[in-house]
Parts: sequence; C-alpha cells; structure tokens
Amino acid sequence: MSKVMQIEKMSKTYHLGKVKVEALRGVSFEINEGEFVSIMGPSGSGKSTLMHIIGCLDYATGGKYFLADQDVNNLNDNQLALFRNKKIGFVFQQFNLLPRVTNLRNVELPLVYAGIPVRDRKKIAIKALQDVGLGDRIGHRPNEISGGQKQRVAIARALVNHPSIILADEPTGNLDSKTGLDIMNIIKKLHEEGNTIILVTHEPEVARYAKRIIHLKDGLIDKDEVVA
Amino acid sequence: MILQGLKIALESLWANKMRTFLSMLGIVIGVGAVIAIVSVGTGSTRQVTTRIADLGSNMITVYSRSSRGQAGRASTSSQEEFTLELGDYMEEFCPSVRKVIPTKQIAGTLISDDVNVSATTIGTISDYAQVNNYEVARGVFLGQDDVTDRRQVIVLGAQLATDLFENRNPIGQKVKMNYNGRIYAFQVIGIMEEKGGSMAGNLDEQAYIPLSVAMDRLTNHNYVDSLIAQAYSSEKASNAVKELEYFMITFLDDPDKENFRIISQDEILDTVSSVTATMSLMLGGIAAISLLVGGIGIMNIMLVSVTERTREIGIRKALGAKNRNILFQFLMESLSLSSVGGMIGISFGWGIAYSLSKVGDWPLVIPTISVVLAFGFALFIGIFFGLYPAMKAAKLNPVDALRYE
Repeated sequence: MSKVMQIEKMSKTYHLGKVKVEALRGVSFEINEGEFVSIMGPSGSGKSTLMHIIGCLDYATGGKYFLADQDVNNLNDNQLALFRNKKIGFVFQQFNLLPRVTNLRNVELPLVYAGIPVRDRKKIAIKALQDVGLGDRIGHRPNEISGGQKQRVAIARALVNHPSIILADEPTGNLDSKTGLDIMNIIKKLHEEGNTIILVTHEPEVARYAKRIIHLKDGLIDKDEVVA
Repeated sequence: MILQGLKIALESLWANKMRTFLSMLGIVIGVGAVIAIVSVGTGSTRQVTTRIADLGSNMITVYSRSSRGQAGRASTSSQEEFTLELGDYMEEFCPSVRKVIPTKQIAGTLISDDVNVSATTIGTISDYAQVNNYEVARGVFLGQDDVTDRRQVIVLGAQLATDLFENRNPIGQKVKMNYNGRIYAFQVIGIMEEKGGSMAGNLDEQAYIPLSVAMDRLTNHNYVDSLIAQAYSSEKASNAVKELEYFMITFLDDPDKENFRIISQDEILDTVSSVTATMSLMLGGIAAISLLVGGIGIMNIMLVSVTERTREIGIRKALGAKNRNILFQFLMESLSLSSVGGMIGISFGWGIAYSLSKVGDWPLVIPTISVVLAFGFALFIGIFFGLYPAMKAAKLNPVDALRYE
C-alpha cells in the first residue's frame, strides 16, 4: 500500500507573550492509503494542533510533513490553499457550514475554489448530497435542518473534491448519541469504499471505529496501536 | 474569479439588506448631491447666459470713466472727449466695428397727469433699437427725423408705460419731464416690448428720447456717456474689443485706461460664468466631501463585516479559498455597495435636478462629465475604502479564523 502522508519529528511551539508552549514535541508516523486512523488524547495533548498541521491550516515549527510526496513546510499560502482544496476534506465538530447560503451552495464551495465550471459543480454537489441521503434538502439552509443533517452536508462537502485524506475533528461531538452513531456509520462506509480517514477524538467509543489508534499525550505519541 | 467574487459578494449583501442599504446611503446622497448641484449650476448659468446673449453678443460698450474723488463725476477733460465725432472715428478706425450708437443718460422724473415716476431716460439715435435687437410693441421707435429735428418725442419701456398710464393707450399722450428743475414736454410715440431685467438694470423701466434733445435742449453738453459699438458679428467681437481699446488708448493718450472702460457681452458672460462656476465648484466640493464620508461609512461597515464573518473566512480558507479569493470577495462587496449606491445616487440626483429645473424654470442640463466623475469617484471610494478591510480579511490566519467565536 502506498503512503498518503508522513510526519517526521514534528514539533510546534507557540509563543504566548513570554511563555513558550510546546504543543508537539517530535511526533513521527505515517499513514497509508485506505487507512482509518484515530488520533486520541485528552485536551492539551496536542491533537488539535496536529490536526491543524495535517489539514494544512497551520505550519509546524520543526520536523517534516509530507503530503502526496510534497514537503508541506515548503509550501506558500497559495499552495497550502490548493492542498486544502484538493487533498483534504474537513469534517468539523461545529459543522462549519455557511449559515446564509443553501446546502447545495455549501457543498459547491470547494468546487468553486477548485475552478470547476458552474454546470459540472452543480451536478457533482447534488450527487454528493444524494449520497449522504439529503437529496431532498438541497435548497434548504443549514439553520433549517437538524444537527445530524448538518454534519451530513459537511461530509458531502468534504467528499466533493475527492481528497486524499478525510480529516474528521470530533465529528460526533455536537450530536446526540443516536445521530452520532449514524454519522460514524457513514464514516465507516466511506472507509470501506477506500477513503483514507483520520479521526480526531477524545471518546474511546468513537475512536474504536478505526483500525488504528494513535494516542497522544503531552505532545508526544504515547501509543500507536492497531485494533480490531 | 471576478464573476465568482461578485456573486459571493452579492449573496452576502442580499443577506444583510438593511445594513447594505444604510451603508449605501452615504454614497447615494453624495453622488446624488454632486449631480444635482452641478446640474442646477449649469442649468441656471445657461439660463442667465442665454438671456445675456439675447441682448446681442456683438455689442461692446465704451464708457467714459469717472476719475476718483469727484463724487461720481467723470473728470471733465476726458468726459468731454466722448463726442459724437469720437463715435465717427471709431467707425472709421476700427475695421471690425460696423456701427457706433451714442447714448446719453438723463436722470429725470417723468410726469403724466398725476403720476410721477423717476426713470432713466436714454438719449440716443434711431439705430439703437435695431442694434440692440430690441423692438417696439406699439407705435414706433425714434426716427431719424426725430433726432435731426430735435422733436420732443419719447418711447417708453413696457413697465414704465404701465406705471404712467395704467390701462390707457399712451401713444399720442403727453409726458412731462422734470430735469434739473425745468419741465419739458414730450409726446409718446412708442412702447417697447417687454425685455425683463438685465445686468444694466430693468430695461422695461427706461425711456428713450432723441439724442439731440438730450444733448442740446436738456443738458447742453456736447458729449455723451457711452458709445455702444456693434461688431460685424459675434465672432468679430473680440477683435473689435482690441481695436477699440487700442483706439481709445491712442485717442485719449491714456495707456493706463483710466478714463474709459470697455465692456463686452463676452466679458459679462465670463463674469457670470466664473461666478456660477465658482459656486458649483464649492458646492460640488461639499458634495464630494459627503461622498468621502460615505466611503468612510462603507469602510466602517466592511470592517464590521470582516470581524463578524471571521469564521466564514476561516471556513472558506479551509475549503481551499486562496488569499486573493477572500480579498476579491470583500473588495467586490464594497465595490458593489459603492457602484449600486452610485447608480441609485445618479437617478436620485437626476430627480432632484429635474424638479429644481421645473421650479427655477431653467433647462435641465446634466453634464455627462459630472455623472462620470461622481460615479467614478464612488467606485474609487469603494475600492479605496474596501481595500483595507479586504486585505485584513485575506490575511487572516485560517486556524485563528476557524476558532473565532
């Protein structure tokens, strides 16, 4: 199996005034295509920082990060934007949908920034919404649908550009347990269809959906275990 | 990308209709004010200038000028140079001058039955009316015989005729004139058409008598007050002015032009135009300041908008928006604000200009340049005041923007 990403001795240090905060202190691992990996850890363990760096939203201050054989640390703002657009599909805890535009428009957005022509992207976006079971909610706005439906819109949005990695940050954190179960089943199905998934969570029950769990503690990998 | 940015911008402006309207208002008022003010300025100027041009744009008046310190009296020596012969010389030595009409002003009281009216009476020759493009409404103007025979006849301005005779027909009636304590009797032979006010006062309140009567009988002067020179055409008027000036300087040996003054219609037009242009410029400047204030209003709203939509910016960046996509989105927003505001402002200004032109009875003139300038300035303001907030938005760090509550 081919490598999707690789992290080598990654560190991240924040300077909050005169205080130095070491969020990551040398983390190394690699993820192969089609893997389903959970990153677990208590708050303050550095998992959010790690997720932001994997998602090309932030720079590491040390170490190397290869995504699709590119050294991400060497990319400029525009190239990072391109990577976020093409390589990463985000699913956030707070859904992060644009509230004032329709679900269709929300799902279209990555295609807009990818420069896909209007007619094609409408077709692709509608298909993606149908795939998550929201074919009848295309014209609704996010505030007109339930939390579970919002997260499904977000998943549809994450998928439209066929990213290398789907990065899910506490995707069930704002949902009740039954809806959370639905969402996790969708993510599981995506994995079965061959997508590479990185799931960031602090809930062991959620983390157990993955085949591999990376435990973070105090900015270091505590345990990297294969489960099930 | 431009079209895309525009679409996103319009979406978000539409989503905040009230705010959009309010932030546009400054630009609407600014552009509207510029257009209305410039239109009113040009329209009223045109009204005044057409009136002046009606008086004959090829007319040049040469006055004898009072010397200082003599209580309004011209110094006798130079005043006495303004003889009828001077007029003949002008015709002879100034090739652009066709005709010279001498006039002598008499300030006397006109009396009919019981009504006394103090009026300006002008002693002149029969060509005066034709040269001034001025016609009688009833009767006749002074004839050549009236002048050569020193007949005591008078032609009345329209208003003056009404003042003296009310509704009676004045033609053939007697009018007495009290001048310097002596009474002279005149017979009314004509009434002038209504002409309205002019720079020289109300023509309708003047009267005309033969020049010879004014000079020989009333004043016993052998000089006049002014010589009205008619150029061959309005195009030749400026040449005529130069020739007359040269002639007068040479004739009076007066290089400093102290004893005469030459006024052409062009000069009056220039004065009027420059006065109204200054006014328009000043008011237009005030309007431009309000445009500027409108721009600051837009910047204010855009800054609020950027802060309020920090999270949206974060989301867009996470989904692959480049910095320039965000920059464009916000720039397009402020540009749409100012351009739509500008367009509303144009129609608003047009409406005001139209109603004012109806009220003031001048032609509705909206110079293209004012529309182009006002709209262009509005666009410029949209870009200028939108740039800073847009750059601020574009430079946001995606992680911080996403975390923003």
